[in-house]
Amino acid sequence: MKITSYLQIVQKVLIEKELIEQCRNGDLHNFRKVVEKTSPMIFSVAFRMLGDEDSARDIVQETMITIWQKLAKIKSADTYKTWVYRIAVNKCYDQMRKQKRQKERRYDDQTWALISNHMSEEGITELENKDNAQIINFLTNKLSHKQKAVFILSELEEMPADEIAKITGMNRSAVKANLYYARKNIESLLRKYL
Amino acid sequence: MKMTEGNDRYKYNKMMEILRNSKPDLIQPEEIENEVIRKIRNEDQKTGMVSDFIESLFSWVYVGWVRRSLVGAAVVLVAVFIYQQGYILKQVRNINERVVNIGNEQVSVPPSDFARRLTLYKMSTKLAPAGEIRVSEKQLEELLNSYDELLVKYKDLIRIIEEDPALKQYIENKLNEEGNKKSDI
Repeated sequence: MKITSYLQIVQKVLIEKELIEQCRNGDLHNFRKVVEKTSPMIFSVAFRMLGDEDSARDIVQETMITIWQKLAKIKSADTYKTWVYRIAVNKCYDQMRKQKRQKERRYDDQTWALISNHMSEEGITELENKDNAQIINFLTNKLSHKQKAVFILSELEEMPADEIAKITGMNRSAVKANLYYARKNIESLLRKYL
Repeated sequence: MKMTEGNDRYKYNKMMEILRNSKPDLIQPEEIENEVIRKIRNEDQKTGMVSDFIESLFSWVYVGWVRRSLVGAAVVLVAVFIYQQGYILKQVRNINERVVNIGNEQVSVPPSDFARRLTLYKMSTKLAPAGEIRVSEKQLEELLNSYDELLVKYKDLIRIIEEDPALKQYIENKLNEEGNKKSDI
């Protein structure tokens, strides 16, 4: 199930090799198409990691500009997607460090009420961006940056451990360990309050 | 216990399903596209001026590596030229400062080596190192003139003595007498 949906996502955001190759030769017109196809996947990861729409949009812009500047340096178009995610995740790490310095987030009963409402509903509901950010921020608040990144890439973006290892620069067992602690932490939160 | 674990897993899975299902919406993606392209164009314009200049210089070369080598060689030559000019300028400034110092400084020489240093100064126009006697350049010039005059007069005197044998004999006798007196003492 997981692998199937992951493949669907890959197919959805798949950038044709030819398009990438053209952009590597400095074709800015085709790069607009690359931006169009790549932006949603970067935004998804950035939004879930940062929990803020404006910051996520900034990350998309910065990542796309970095991609343009360094596109010629990637070995082949095959590694494009992993490479894009790696740039985006690193930029998110930087942003998270800044945010942590700026303010410690506070959460109240309102978030629990929101989670409780959605959990009690029969089917699987779809959250608006604002609620989505609020819940992810709340659940991942106690996680380290690495644990948060692994949790989001694995559980929400549904990527396999090998790819997460390539994106984050960790080895496979470190990815699994981080994911284990993240799950445990979130489960205990849900057990405590729901 | 198993019931609790199962319940926890259910809550967790349901929460994950909700979050997975709620893919963040990128509102107005074209704004991001335009902004990215605009920023890239601005960056390109900044670097474009340099590449235009290189293009105008080396447009006659079509082979990539030859063009790059020529650009590299040009950069090295310009760097060497700038370094050379800077070095020459520095040397000229040093010489200039040295001339000014000669005009203002006082010269010091030890008394025992005075004549030799005067000659040396005359020959090389360099300043003697610090010592016990301090004279200005003007005073030194006067001394040099006196020394020259003295030298001329001495040579004239020797010539006159050489021309007159009687005078020469008389002076030799006098010098011998003086020598004998000194040895007796």
